Amino acid sequence: MTDTLLPAAAAPVGASTPSPRPRRRSGRDLTLVTLVTVVSLLLFVIVGLPLIRILTVALSAEGWEIVSSMLTNPVNRRILWNTVQLGVLVAVLGTAVGFVMAYAQVRLKFRGKKLLHLIALMPIVSPPFAVATAAITMFGRNGIISNKLLGLDIDIYGLKGLVFVLTLSFFPVSYMNLKGMLESLDPSLDEAASNLGASKLKIFTSVTLPMLVPGIAGSFLLLFVESIADLANPLVLGGDYTVLASRAYLAVTGEYNVAGGAAYSLVLLVPALSVFLVQRYWVSRKNVVSVTGKPAGSPELITAPALRIPILGLALVVAGLVVLMYATVIFGGFVKIFGVNNDFTLSHYRFVLAGIGSDAMFTTTLLALVATPIAGLLGMLIAWLVVSKLKRTSGLMDFVGMLGLSVPGTVIGIGYAIAFNTPTILGGRQWFPAVAGGSAILGGAMAIVMVFVARSLPSGQRAGIAALQQINPAIDEASTSLGANSFTTFRKVTLPLIRPALLSGLTYAFARSMTTLSPIVFITTPQTKIMTSQILAEVDAGRFGNAFAYCAILIVIVLSFIGLLNLAMLHPSIRGIQRR
Amino acid sequence: MTATSETPMTQQTQQTPPADSTVQSARDSLATATPGRVTLRSLRKVYGDDASATPAVRDVDLDIEPGEFITLLGPSGCGKTTTLRMIAGFETPTAGEIRLDDDLLNKVAPNKRPMAMVFQSYALFPHLSVFDNVAYGLKLKKMPSARVTEEVETALTSMNLGPYRDRAPHQMSGGQQQRVALARALVMRPKVLLFDEPLSNLDAKLRVQMRGEIRRLQRRLGITTVFVTHDQDEAMTMSDRIVVMNVGVIEQVDTPEEIYRHPLSVFVADFIGRANFLDVDVQGIEDGSARVSVLGRQWTVPSHPEVEVDAPVTLLVRPESVRLSPTDGRAVTGSVGRVLSSMFYGESIEYDIETEAGNLVVSVADPHAHETFSPGDYLDVGFEEGRAWLMPVGDEPQ
Ligand SMILES: Nc1ncnc2c1ncn2[C@@H]1O[C@H](COP(=O)(O)OP(=O)(O)O)[C@@H](O)[C@H]1O
Ligand SMILES: [Mg+2]
Repeated sequence: MTDTLLPAAAAPVGASTPSPRPRRRSGRDLTLVTLVTVVSLLLFVIVGLPLIRILTVALSAEGWEIVSSMLTNPVNRRILWNTVQLGVLVAVLGTAVGFVMAYAQVRLKFRGKKLLHLIALMPIVSPPFAVATAAITMFGRNGIISNKLLGLDIDIYGLKGLVFVLTLSFFPVSYMNLKGMLESLDPSLDEAASNLGASKLKIFTSVTLPMLVPGIAGSFLLLFVESIADLANPLVLGGDYTVLASRAYLAVTGEYNVAGGAAYSLVLLVPALSVFLVQRYWVSRKNVVSVTGKPAGSPELITAPALRIPILGLALVVAGLVVLMYATVIFGGFVKIFGVNNDFTLSHYRFVLAGIGSDAMFTTTLLALVATPIAGLLGMLIAWLVVSKLKRTSGLMDFVGMLGLSVPGTVIGIGYAIAFNTPTILGGRQWFPAVAGGSAILGGAMAIVMVFVARSLPSGQRAGIAALQQINPAIDEASTSLGANSFTTFRKVTLPLIRPALLSGLTYAFARSMTTLSPIVFITTPQTKIMTSQILAEVDAGRFGNAFAYCAILIVIVLSFIGLLNLAMLHPSIRGIQRR
Repeated sequence: MTATSETPMTQQTQQTPPADSTVQSARDSLATATPGRVTLRSLRKVYGDDASATPAVRDVDLDIEPGEFITLLGPSGCGKTTTLRMIAGFETPTAGEIRLDDDLLNKVAPNKRPMAMVFQSYALFPHLSVFDNVAYGLKLKKMPSARVTEEVETALTSMNLGPYRDRAPHQMSGGQQQRVALARALVMRPKVLLFDEPLSNLDAKLRVQMRGEIRRLQRRLGITTVFVTHDQDEAMTMSDRIVVMNVGVIEQVDTPEEIYRHPLSVFVADFIGRANFLDVDVQGIEDGSARVSVLGRQWTVPSHPEVEVDAPVTLLVRPESVRLSPTDGRAVTGSVGRVLSSMFYGESIEYDIETEAGNLVVSVADPHAHETFSPGDYLDVGFEEGRAWLMPVGDEPQ
C-alpha cells in the first residue's frame, strides 16, 4: 500500500515555491470516489446480483404461479402458516429465555456469573445441527433421557422439537441485546422509584420492564427473522412440518425446480426483510435507553428470594440444557452410537481428522481464512464510509451491506446458484465466468468465499459503525487538513482507532463463515466440501457420531482462531502508541 | 510539567513568553512559509438540498491580507464555522468563490490546500505519540525521515513540548494538547492557519495565556490566520481586524478599536462590549459630527456617515463614557437621574441609573470609597461627547 495516489505529497516541503497544483476537472477526493465505486461494485456482485436474479426468476411466469398460489393453494398456505407459527413461538420463547438469563446476570446476586455468561454465549459459536442432533439423542423417541430414563415416548420431530432446539440456539441474540440494555439502565431510576415507596416487584413492573420494551421488541423481531430463515434444523428435525426454507431447499435440490425455489425464497424474503427494516429503523429509534451511555453508579444487586429463586432457577435450567447439549456433542463423538452402544471409539474423530472428512475440514478452514480478512476490512470500510464519508447515500450503503445477514441464507444460496452457476453476462458481454457449481473455476470455491464474505461482513460493519460513532469527526478532518487523502486517513487513523471493532468483526466473520450452512448447501461441490454440509450428510445418513466429531472440531477451530487473533492483537507491533 | 509553565500570566504584565533563546530560534526557523492572501467573493452556503432554505452563510465578501490575523466573531449559529470550513475545504460553497493568492480553491480538495487547521477539540490522533502526531503530515509529504525528525524536534522545542515527545495525547493537559495541535499545524508551513474556537476548552486563566502566546507566535511567523470565536475579548485582544457576523452575513469588518468605537450597526454595537442607546433629537449634521439634544442638554457628537436628519437614529454611549456627579435635583428629569442599583466588581462599580432617556448602565473605574453612590441617590448624568456615536437604526436582522 503506497501513496502513489497522492501526487501533491511529493511537492517540496517549504512550499515557498508557488505550488504547481495539478488542477484537474474535479477537486473531489479521487481516492474516495474510487473507494466508493469499488465497495459498491463488490457489494453489487456479492449480494445485489444474486438477489436481482432470484427476483427475476421468481417473477417469471413459472415462478409467479407458485408465488400467487401461496394463499390459495392449501399446501402452500400450510407451509406459510407453519413458518409464521414457528417464527412467533421461537421469538417469544427465545426472548423470554434471553431476558431471564440477562436479568439474572445483571441484577441478581449469585456466584458463578462469569460461567453463566459463557454458557449463555456458547450457542453463538456452535455449528448448526449440534443442538438438533444432541436433542434427538437425548429427547427423541429412543432418547437417553426421555425414553431410557423417564420411559416416555416423545416424537421430537416437528414443531415441538424445532421450537425447543431453535430457542436454545438463538436465545443468545436476545440475551446479548437485553444484557447490554439492562446494564445501561440508570440505577438512579430504581433508586428514585424506591425512594417514592415502590417495592422491588413494583419497580420491576413499573420502571424496568417499560424501559426495556423497545429492546424486547427488537430481540423478538430479530429472533423471528432468524428462526424463519433457519434451514438446518427444519431439515433434520422438521419431519412433516415443512417451512418455507425447507420447501425451497426441496424444490431446488430434490425437484430441480429452480423457479419454485426462487418463488418460495421470495415469499420468505418479504417478511424477513420487512421485519429487519422495522427492527432497524423503527424499534431502534424508539429506544429510550442510551446503550452507549455509562450508567451513573451500579445497581444494588437483588437478594430478595421472591425474585431470586424463580429467576435463578429458570436460568439454571436453561444453562443446564445448554451444557447437556454440548456434553452430548463431545461425549457422543467418542462412543460408537450414543445411547445404543456406548463403547469408546476414536473412529469418528479419525474420520474427520484423518479420513474422508478431513478434506472438508481443511477446505472450510482455508476458505474461511481467506474470507475473514476480506469481510473484516470490507465491513470496517463500509462502516467508515457510512459514518463519516457518505452523506445522502450512506443509508443505502448501510442497508445493502447488511443485506448479507438480513436476507435468509437459503435465499442467498439459491440466488448464488441462479446467478453464478453460469457465466455472468450483462449487456451482451461476459463479465466473469461461472464461479459457483462443480464446473466453475476453482471448483466453485470462489462463490463459497463470496458467500462467506457476504454473510459475515455485516457483523463487522455494525461493530465498526458503533465504534466510529464514538470518534470525533474532527480527527478525520485533522488528517485531511494535514494532507492525507481518504484512503490514507482510513489506513493510518481510522483503522487503528477502531481496532477492537475490527477484532470483533474478524471474530464474527470467521465464526460465521465456519458455521454457516443454509447458503452453502446450494453451492457446495464435490471438489470443495464444506464442513457444515458434510455434517448434514452424516446426520441424514444417521451417523450421528461423525456429526458430533465434526461439530466438536468445528468449535475447537473457531475458538482457537479467536484465541490466536486476540493474542496477535496484543502484539506491540499491532497495538498501542508506536514508540520510536 | 516543567518548562511549559502553566502558571497564570496576567494580561497587564505583557511579558515575553517564558522562552529562552533556543525556543526563540526554533520559532524563527518555522517562519519560512509565504503567507497567503485569501479572498472570499459572494460566498454562500445552504445546507441540504432545498436551495430555498435559509443560507447558513450569505454573500460573504472578504479580503484577508497576507500575514493578517483576522477573527470571525458573532453569536452561536451565525455562520463562522461554516465560513471557516469552506476556506479549509470541508464544506463546499453553494455559490461564490474562494481564492488563495490567485488560485481558485473551490474545486481543490481539502488535503491539497496549503492550509492547516487547529480544532476546538484539538483532534490529536489518540493512537499516536506527540512526536508522531506532529510528524504525521510531514511523513505524508514523503519527507526523508531524518528531516522529519529535525523539523518535528524544532516544532516541539518552539512550543516548549520537547520533554513530551513520547507521550500519548491523553497523558497531557488541555493546554499541552493545544500546543501539540498548534505544532502539528505549524510544522506544515501552511500559507494560512485556521482556528475554530481553539481556546474554548481551556480554563479561564490558561485561555488568557494561550491568547497571548498564539498572537505572539503568529506575529513572529507572519502567517495569515483566520480565527473563529464567539468570545469578544478574544477577538478584541488578538485580531488585526475583526469580522462581525450575524445570521450568515457580515455586519462589519474593521480593527478592534473601530469596531468598538464606531460600530456600523446596532447589532455590532450591542454585541461588542456593552452599550446604552439613547433616543435623541438631531438638530444638525455636518462633517461627521452632529448636534443632538438629550438629557436636558445640547451635545456635539461624532456621527456615522450615513446618518440623516430625518431618519431614525440612536446615540451609542458606552457605560464607561457616562459621567456621574452629585446634584441637588430631586426628580428624574433633564440631566438628573436616580441610582436604581449598584454592583461592586473590585476594579469598577456598575450602576443602573434611571433617566428621562431610559435606564443607563454606567461603569465607574477604580472607585474610591467616598465616591460611591447608593440606590436612591440623585445624580447629574452626562457623558464624554467625543466617545459617543450617533448611528442609524436600520432594519436589523432579528
Ligand atoms: N452540517 C450542517 N447541516 C445543516 N445545518 C448546519 C450544519 N452545520 C451548521 N449548520 C447550520 O448553519 C448555521 C451556521 O452554523 P455554524 O457555521 O456552525 O455557526 P457558528 O460556528 O457561527 O456557531 C446554523 O444555523 C447551523 O444550525
Ligand atoms: Mg462554530
